[in-house]
Amino acid sequence: MKAGFRQSMAWLHTWSGLVVGWLLFAIFLTGTVSYFRPEISLWMRPELQQAAPGTRATEVVIAEMQRRAPAAPSWIILMPSERNPVASAFWRDPTATPRGFRQAQLDPRTGGDLAARATAGGDFFYAFHFQLFGLPIPIARWIVSFCAMVMLVSIVSGIVTHRRIFADFFTFRPRKGQRSWLDGHAALATLALPYHLMITYTGLVTLIALTMPWPILTNFEGNRAAYTAAVFGIDEAVPRAGVATPLTPVTPLVAEAKARWHGGEIGRVLVTNPGDSTATITFQQQDSDRVSVSRRTIIFNGTTGAVIATREPDGPADATRGVMYGLHVGRFGGGVMRALFFLSALMGSAMVATGTILWAVKRRQKSGAGAGTRLVEILNVGAIAGLPAAMAIYLLANRLLPVEMAGRITWEVYCFFIAWAVLLLHPLFRSHRRAWQEQLWLGAVLQVAVPVVNVVATPGSALAATLPAWRWDIAGIDLACLAFAVLLGGCACMVGREAAAPRQRRGAVQSAAAE
Amino acid sequence: MTILAIALAYAGFVALCLAMERHHGEVFGTRRIPSRRRVALRLAGWALLAASFPTCIADWGWAFGPIAWCGVLTAAALPIVLLLPYRPRAMAALAPALPILGAIGACL
Amino acid sequence: MEARRIGGIVSRCVAAILGGYAVAALSSIALARLGSRVEGALIGMMASYAIYTAAVIWVFAASSALRAWVGLAIAAGVFGGAFWLLGVA
Repeated sequence: MKAGFRQSMAWLHTWSGLVVGWLLFAIFLTGTVSYFRPEISLWMRPELQQAAPGTRATEVVIAEMQRRAPAAPSWIILMPSERNPVASAFWRDPTATPRGFRQAQLDPRTGGDLAARATAGGDFFYAFHFQLFGLPIPIARWIVSFCAMVMLVSIVSGIVTHRRIFADFFTFRPRKGQRSWLDGHAALATLALPYHLMITYTGLVTLIALTMPWPILTNFEGNRAAYTAAVFGIDEAVPRAGVATPLTPVTPLVAEAKARWHGGEIGRVLVTNPGDSTATITFQQQDSDRVSVSRRTIIFNGTTGAVIATREPDGPADATRGVMYGLHVGRFGGGVMRALFFLSALMGSAMVATGTILWAVKRRQKSGAGAGTRLVEILNVGAIAGLPAAMAIYLLANRLLPVEMAGRITWEVYCFFIAWAVLLLHPLFRSHRRAWQEQLWLGAVLQVAVPVVNVVATPGSALAATLPAWRWDIAGIDLACLAFAVLLGGCACMVGREAAAPRQRRGAVQSAAAE
Repeated sequence: MTILAIALAYAGFVALCLAMERHHGEVFGTRRIPSRRRVALRLAGWALLAASFPTCIADWGWAFGPIAWCGVLTAAALPIVLLLPYRPRAMAALAPALPILGAIGACL
Repeated sequence: MEARRIGGIVSRCVAAILGGYAVAALSSIALARLGSRVEGALIGMMASYAIYTAAVIWVFAASSALRAWVGLAIAAGVFGGAFWLLGVA
């Protein structure tokens, strides 16, 4: 350990960032695109792009659930919105494997299964962002929380290390090797510093009930259901009375909710013990018109339709939690707001990427190409350049796999992971510079391929159709892929230029020694 | 309106940037800044950044506006950092041009 | 020399990750006594990561690994004591 506060913080910043850098980049980038999760889902279900949610969605979906799962202990239904024409229903079913849970994507106009290709859509990136893939969910969330915690420590120690935040605010000196990487890393960090701090801390807060459950132990005697009831406005389960009673018609309840919320839309419906005399129906307001996601909730008696309880945020801490969560998921304020969040998030991803690259560049300059340096370099290529290429593969698989294929949802995801695994291994067999160039170019080509394949496979959702119709929600995905292609291609050119430049400055050619 | 907010913040950051010796040198070829000009640039810079705030409020209201403003500042500063080493004069020239275009755009 | 250096680093990492978490957990239950059932619990949980971060920074800023551990122990004692006292009161 070196002496001096700033030196020890520099040490901490360097090593903490490296330990989680690759996974953190994946978490950050998949989170970044998750701002547009409903749009990605819609893009990946071209059959639904002309659908409108319909005006009687709540009634239709509840009627359908009465047919599908009349005896389930509860149904949770995520209602469609202006961004998403699909209703998602979840219900418990002990016969379902592996988690005793079933879910269905419903057409809110007919209640039937969606007449669209099977796909996980944007939900895949969203879920990967905080629970990775293939791991037990609590373990994966612990890993992600650990990464976020290290990120928070890295940000704080980075601020201490950087010191000249204002003097170097506008400084970027390109074509100077290590210097440029450092400038770039610092600029990406400082220009969006409030965002980075906010997103990291609020990210940790979204998972606190798992990672910091001790106050639940002391204040709720460890009764998690009581905590959930108090914070999320979902009451503890009441056992069925066994007296069959039909569910009350929902139309008047919908009207009641809208009146109480001054026109606010229903975002989530929870029905407990349907068909029983103990049934309840809970409406939660959609969270697109407020920063906070603190649920504004109305609970109805499920047989008489009388209002049992309403719930608004409890107090300052509850309101703060709602705002933190809301800031993290960024569902408020419309498309321009999300574009601003997206830009800052992209800069965050780039900050993580430049950080791990800077580590390798510095290391190579200081102590040459040891095995450790080489390992970091290999992982850098696959984790940073490989990921956007694999993400493009995921979108391409959506258009290219046969629509009727069995296990289609899984295979789209497998395509993503197979591509990523290949790209993680590929740098083992190439020189460092070549590996970067090849993967960046591949990523650029694949990103261009997304709108091109879209034209061939599903002309109705291609730019030629969506742009004249002002469908920015769908065209935006194609345009974003083209923008990513330009970005990746630009990076590839940069790597090429660096290699071609006269090798006078040590460190200017981070890759030269690898050959 | 968002464009105008970003344009104002951009102009403000450029003014603050030009009030720094190193960047003044990159744009105008001399690091010496007359002290009156420096004060004027600083004042103009902070004033323009401040002006982008009510623009965001007007656009988004008090609940969302301050959050949007943070994003606007980031979006405005990024192109400056990217343009400065490659096209310093264009970077400076855009500072007066963008708010005018933004204002016209907001009026339309 | 090298072994001692690495030993110090390992000790600090353990102090930061596990010791820091222990301090954060104790702070969360101490703060949880400050408000109502729900409010207190949320204050404790939400603030805990700021405490955790501060603890980690302290561990790596302290001049020796031993001092880092002692500092954590003091913080843990303070939060634990506050938890106990607030519970009695």
